[in-house]
Amino acid sequence: MESETASSADEQQAADTRGKHRILAELKRVQQESRFLEEEMEELEKTDIISTLCEEFLHCTETRPDPLLSITNGPINPAWDIWFEGPPDSQGCRCWIL
Amino acid sequence: MSVAELKEKHAAATEKVNNLREQLRQRRQQLLDTDVAEYASSQGRSPVTFGPTDLVCCRTLQGHTGKVYSLDWTPERNRIVSASQDGRLIVWNALTSQKTHAIKLPCAWVMTCAFSPTGQSVSCGGLDSMCSIFNLNSPTDKDGNLPVSKTLSGHKGYVSCCQYVPDEDIHIITSSGDQTCVLWDITTGLRTSVFGGEFQSGHTADVLCVSINGSNSRMFVSGSCDATARLWDTRVASRAVRTFHGHEGDVNTVKFFPDGNRFGTGSDDGTCRLFDIRTGHQLQRYYQQHGDNDVPHVTSIAFSISGRLLFAGYLNGDCYVWDTLLARVVLNLRSLQNSHVNRISCLGLSADGSALCTGSWDTNLKIWAFGGYRRVT
Repeated sequence: MESETASSADEQQAADTRGKHRILAELKRVQQESRFLEEEMEELEKTDIISTLCEEFLHCTETRPDPLLSITNGPINPAWDIWFEGPPDSQGCRCWIL
Repeated sequence: MSVAELKEKHAAATEKVNNLREQLRQRRQQLLDTDVAEYASSQGRSPVTFGPTDLVCCRTLQGHTGKVYSLDWTPERNRIVSASQDGRLIVWNALTSQKTHAIKLPCAWVMTCAFSPTGQSVSCGGLDSMCSIFNLNSPTDKDGNLPVSKTLSGHKGYVSCCQYVPDEDIHIITSSGDQTCVLWDITTGLRTSVFGGEFQSGHTADVLCVSINGSNSRMFVSGSCDATARLWDTRVASRAVRTFHGHEGDVNTVKFFPDGNRFGTGSDDGTCRLFDIRTGHQLQRYYQQHGDNDVPHVTSIAFSISGRLLFAGYLNGDCYVWDTLLARVVLNLRSLQNSHVNRISCLGLSADGSALCTGSWDTNLKIWAFGGYRRVT
């Protein structure tokens, strides 16, 4: 009886130690997250307002030639029309993989 | 310190984190003096228009006997690999519609596939929690099957997405239901870095997608069931460079914008969003009612090569073509002739941007290209 009580007390102590380690690890993780967020807040104070980024976005989308647009910056690449040079899709291989 | 004291400290620290998050959210809101659509309108931009026969379905790739879940183009030569519920990968010549390989997978429950940069290998992953690599030039075994040339194992949950790091066939990044992303060395089969997980700051739920920056392959973004997208630097696995909040549901799909300074997301909340990676700002939200009270989830997205168009597939079968500048839907592929008859699960642009491939639960893949008249500005 005594040895059973002693061993269950040992088990309880071991469980408490594991629990403490787990909570400590979790606490450190949350504190680290807190530091990351504080850094982000500092960085945010130095960032541009959105309209500056929008001008850049506008320029970006209107510069590169785009084969899927009817009005686009040049040059037009003749290779874009390769999809219409071969046989129509109904002639494609339709074998089923079983 | 006792357990009770530690728990108190933890509660206090958690409250501080929540307050900081709210402060950040409010400060970002103050900096959002406009969005892309409002700005573009003020600069006199008009929306993109499509005539009824401008975008056409010019190929239907038939052969899968189950839902298509994923597809990827080669960086050159117009080949596509697709993964399906039928437990197979098929490699297609998209121009001729011919199948060059039909790979029976060791695990039929595949969710994702990718083509290697050289086009010599393909990879796939799924519910087996592994990423399998197949060398397309290998001889087949006695049963006529292409053998697995490498297995990348280590994830503790399903592999939702995989993408090769550009310019080399050696490294691949995977996302997983175990809440992590992993950078693998295919030669050794070992994990080079683990992003997130139990001991590091990262996603707090399943990770569903990744996209590697084409302009700077050290950066990639991931999307998760925790409703965030995160930007990672492969040299720093301990924490994300930035976390992007805003979505109100699972982030199912992420895609880098062509110039690499922005990325798009698609979510269960029915919206697509555009974020700037340098500042963390949300530049635009893309949402339009679909005709009833339903808010269908976004399953997949892709940008056209200039970034002016955003293709978005939805759970209800719609495939909206968004004008990213004016935030307007300019076309629905579902309404075009010869379109899919079930939802589109995956999308991808060819390397030169001349064709869009869509994969669907109707078991087919379709290639779409511009067949109208082009005008140069």
